[in-house]
Amino acid sequence: MVGRFASWAYLGIALLFIFLPVLVLIQFSFQGGMAPVPPFDGPSLRWWAKVMANRKITDGLWNSLLVGLGSAFMATVLGFLAAYAMARKRRRLSGLYQFLLMAPITVSYLIIGMGLQIFFNHLGIGKSLWVIGIGHVVINLPLTFAILYSQLGEHQANIERAAYDLGASDARVVLEITVPMLWPSLLAAFFIAATLSWDEFVIAFLLSRFDVTLPVVIWSMLRSGLSPELNAAGTLVFGISILAVALVELLLWRARRNRA
Amino acid sequence: MTDRVEFRSVTKEYDGNVVVAPLDLSIAAGEFVVLLGPSGSGKTTLLNMIGGFASPSSGRVLIDGQDFTDLPPARRPTATVFQDYALFPHMSLAANVAFGLRMQGMAKPARLAKAEAMLELVGLKGFGKRGVHQLSGGQRQRVALARAMAVEPKVLLLDEPLGALDLALRRQMQEELVRLQKRSGATFVHVTHDQEEAMSIADRIVVVNKGRIEDMGPPDRVYLKPATLFAATFMGESNVLAGRVAAVSSGEIQVETPLGALVVPGSALLASDVHLVLRPEQLQLTPPANGFALGQARVEELSFQGTHCRCHCHMSGQDLVLRAPVSAGLKTGATVTLHAARDDVVVLKA
Repeated sequence: MVGRFASWAYLGIALLFIFLPVLVLIQFSFQGGMAPVPPFDGPSLRWWAKVMANRKITDGLWNSLLVGLGSAFMATVLGFLAAYAMARKRRRLSGLYQFLLMAPITVSYLIIGMGLQIFFNHLGIGKSLWVIGIGHVVINLPLTFAILYSQLGEHQANIERAAYDLGASDARVVLEITVPMLWPSLLAAFFIAATLSWDEFVIAFLLSRFDVTLPVVIWSMLRSGLSPELNAAGTLVFGISILAVALVELLLWRARRNRA
Repeated sequence: MTDRVEFRSVTKEYDGNVVVAPLDLSIAAGEFVVLLGPSGSGKTTLLNMIGGFASPSSGRVLIDGQDFTDLPPARRPTATVFQDYALFPHMSLAANVAFGLRMQGMAKPARLAKAEAMLELVGLKGFGKRGVHQLSGGQRQRVALARAMAVEPKVLLLDEPLGALDLALRRQMQEELVRLQKRSGATFVHVTHDQEEAMSIADRIVVVNKGRIEDMGPPDRVYLKPATLFAATFMGESNVLAGRVAAVSSGEIQVETPLGALVVPGSALLASDVHLVLRPEQLQLTPPANGFALGQARVEELSFQGTHCRCHCHMSGQDLVLRAPVSAGLKTGATVTLHAARDDVVVLKA
């Protein structure tokens, strides 16, 4: 009895430790006064109205969505092609290729951002949302590759074999069998990549100049002091991330159920 | 008439391991052939070579006299039923069955009508709109069968298709396979390691071991007169007596065995080593016509099997298994005299 209580208490404390800062952040986005500190005198939507009217924030939101969805799409397409090639076509050196594909995961975002900055500078390509997008493809490709590679097992290979056996060409097998069969995993990979890009600061900061993403906007606002407006902006970022993660969980759950 | 499928001195090696030794095999049109062997015997490799999923290291594979060795699965008049069914999980059953017809360019109304007819043929009438996930293992098996047969292949290849089913369902599906094969007139090549399954469905059994054909023929011949010791022990249970030929006369040999000298029909070189093979049901407690007594044995172990008693006996250092009638009322520790009919004994070169 005591042990049971202790384990529940431990779980509660652990969850509180993780989520209390976020909950406080959300609560004080509804603050009535000027400072996001107790006492709480809300609820009020004045700071939310201010966020929605702030062009810097809405532009940043739009830029983040653009970079997130665009880079996630590219990372998913490239990750699928790489996974398909590794799982189905390549026999020799596949270990080496997989290592090279997964390697960026071990490098810090700061180093990747610096490297891309130097590289693009060398090529004479200016900082832009495009360049941030490329940076996010670099960091997300290992993840999309790993997710999709794990879904291209021997059972799936047999299903593709059955399609070949019934007269399908290479292109038709990929488009009509492999891709539809992997739909849930493809969407999951896409949303994970989009979420990570959405939250990403270091690379976005190093590779942006005039058009900036939402995390960079929030960072620049933080420099001029705390305000409930920042809480509202932060809540927005958190809320959209949570939505995407929930979608991923739903898709993966459906994929598991369909495999049974 | 040319054979439907023909292997001409086919070999297969993986990384220096010989999976199929030089092998010739002909399969006639409309025949139900079972490739029977333990796992790793090369039987599935043979099947994959007909279907185009494996290519031989040397030799040719012919279908209806035409060389198909280097053609991909899509261009062969074959269709495969896979062990894990490999149904398309994102399609309805009708779309699954109609897939091959769609690849052939058949118009939608025609192929859906045919898919419905195929589903009816395998006992799944009206299931067309359902999804794969709503089906049991046995039902998936039927859909896989309908999908492969919808394209009217000249040769249907079945890769241990009943392996995942429980015994009752397996028996039922065996009967249905035979019925479908007779009805369609297609050639069926079926791979299994289950010798009872092989016997109950095959027109001809090909016993494969270590990439070689050990024996082939109708099930009763392979069972009653196996060509090799492997075939004798893999196809059901056998009592094997090792012996040496002591005397040879016309049509008969005398063999020195642990049970003493036995005179049996057959021919062998004088002083050569042979194995005498007797099935458990061929050891009898009462003297048959044209039989001989093997001697006295002690009953070591009995187990009741319903139709008979399975009985382990010991005789002059040799363990023997026999199927005694329940009415014989054997008891453990009893001494019995065992007999066998001369014609039942199979003589195999050691």
